[in-house]
Amino acid sequence: MGYIIIQLVLMVGLAPLINGIIKKVKAFSQKRKGAPILQMYYDIGKLLKKEMVVSETSSWIYKAAPYVVFGSTAAAALLVPAVTNAGGLNAAFSGGDVLVLLYTLALGRFFLMLAGLDTGSTFGGMGSSREGMISSLMEPSILIGLFTLGLASGSLSIKMIMSESLSKVCPIADPVYIIIFFVLVIVLLAETCRIPVDDPATHLELTMVHEAMILEYSGRQLALMELAAAVKQLILMTLIVNIFFPITAVLPAGVPGVAIMIILYIVRIVLLAVVIGVVEVCIVKLRFFSIPNLAALSFILAIIGFVNYFVIGR
Amino acid sequence: MTTYMDIISIFILITSFALVASKKITSYIKAFRIQSALLAMALAVMGYFHFVESGRIDTLVLCALIIALKVVYFPKLLNKTYDRVEHKVEKDFFMNIPMLILLCSGIVIFVYFIISGIGSFGNEDVTMQVVNMVSVVLIGVFFMITRKKAIGQIVGFLVVENGIFGAVMFGAEGMPLIVDIGIFIDLITGILIMGLMVFKINDLFDSINTNKLRRLKG
Repeated sequence: MGYIIIQLVLMVGLAPLINGIIKKVKAFSQKRKGAPILQMYYDIGKLLKKEMVVSETSSWIYKAAPYVVFGSTAAAALLVPAVTNAGGLNAAFSGGDVLVLLYTLALGRFFLMLAGLDTGSTFGGMGSSREGMISSLMEPSILIGLFTLGLASGSLSIKMIMSESLSKVCPIADPVYIIIFFVLVIVLLAETCRIPVDDPATHLELTMVHEAMILEYSGRQLALMELAAAVKQLILMTLIVNIFFPITAVLPAGVPGVAIMIILYIVRIVLLAVVIGVVEVCIVKLRFFSIPNLAALSFILAIIGFVNYFVIGR
Repeated sequence: MTTYMDIISIFILITSFALVASKKITSYIKAFRIQSALLAMALAVMGYFHFVESGRIDTLVLCALIIALKVVYFPKLLNKTYDRVEHKVEKDFFMNIPMLILLCSGIVIFVYFIISGIGSFGNEDVTMQVVNMVSVVLIGVFFMITRKKAIGQIVGFLVVENGIFGAVMFGAEGMPLIVDIGIFIDLITGILIMGLMVFKINDLFDSINTNKLRRLKG
């Protein structure tokens, strides 16, 4: 019970901060001061107070979608333990399978795409079709990547994968892990609508993907949609941080250990957010029809990791 | 050190995928340069260990040769060649890029099964490195047959050479120095002649598409 509360508060509470940090890094690269780091909290707070405008032509799917999206994302957040050390893993939900995680997220995405189609606006349909293409291109690589980690740890459960990397001295130095790390970074950029695939800062109709689907939403529903996207990003980042850069130091179990681990977790997540911001500054947005090449690259990295796991066999 | 070599060999394999995936001539020359630099990094560490253990400096000499030739000289020569020919962008593939990359992954799996069929090399540690390097050789050959431009074929040839050299270094800790130097001299001559040929082809046909050479047939 304590685990569920800590995990949910941490994930949902931290997620908007990550977006703020990434935006701040991008603003600094353009010699701007940029919005305050906490801007997204203000936005969500404001949106929660505003009234909703709902299109007359929309059906119940439109109204249900934000709750389904946010609910499924929050459920997925429970499957990825943020605190792995100091008894955190033992408390974690043990049935958290890789497949459950991915397809819980996919349920949210499915409703997001339906909601984009439901209003009948042209942008929504376009955004949904693009999202469908990107997600179906990225799905094989993240599946094979996580399966390879599952092979290395002997179980597909996220808990077991994380405890396996806790037992290694430095997981990122393992050849298989380093490849899967790159796979997951590419998937992170693609799934969270970051720059090589989609530009989160733009509302230019020809390039937007995620923004196009939630264009019709307003008020409370928009706040839930934005928050769900941020939480999803944090889930993937937690996966990367806890699998590839675990804190292996032995800490006392109980409240002090957990508190230290939460602080270290936040520090690592913030560092990863800064790295993502820098990556996003350094690369350009791909043409939409070049995205299959990126997807092929990440898929191939995953396959090489998979094959190399058998080749090394140690 | 085994982990270091494993990681370097994987990165060399990844650069050969980047080579196949790149559209522009300059970007695959850059991929080749990065690949050679990675090979030099592996050789530097290996050479340091050889020097400490038995006082041999031949691996370090080879490392210097690779940096001088493959990281600096050949890419410069190829870029110069590329500047002087027309038709800058290579648009005409035989297949689209994702298809090429998928076929290359097929090559890696194929090499893995072939080599695991042979059995180990007496040393379990190098199996993975040798698998990766042999894959680089085959991907280089594959790269040569999928590009129509002559420069692509030169780069493919150099990648094949990188792969063979890497397989020898990782698998057997190198050949005698004199053999390696002989290979390098052959390589320089070959690349120079091929560079001249590209100019000639360009002069004669206004293009460096090798499939236009079919016009020479009687």
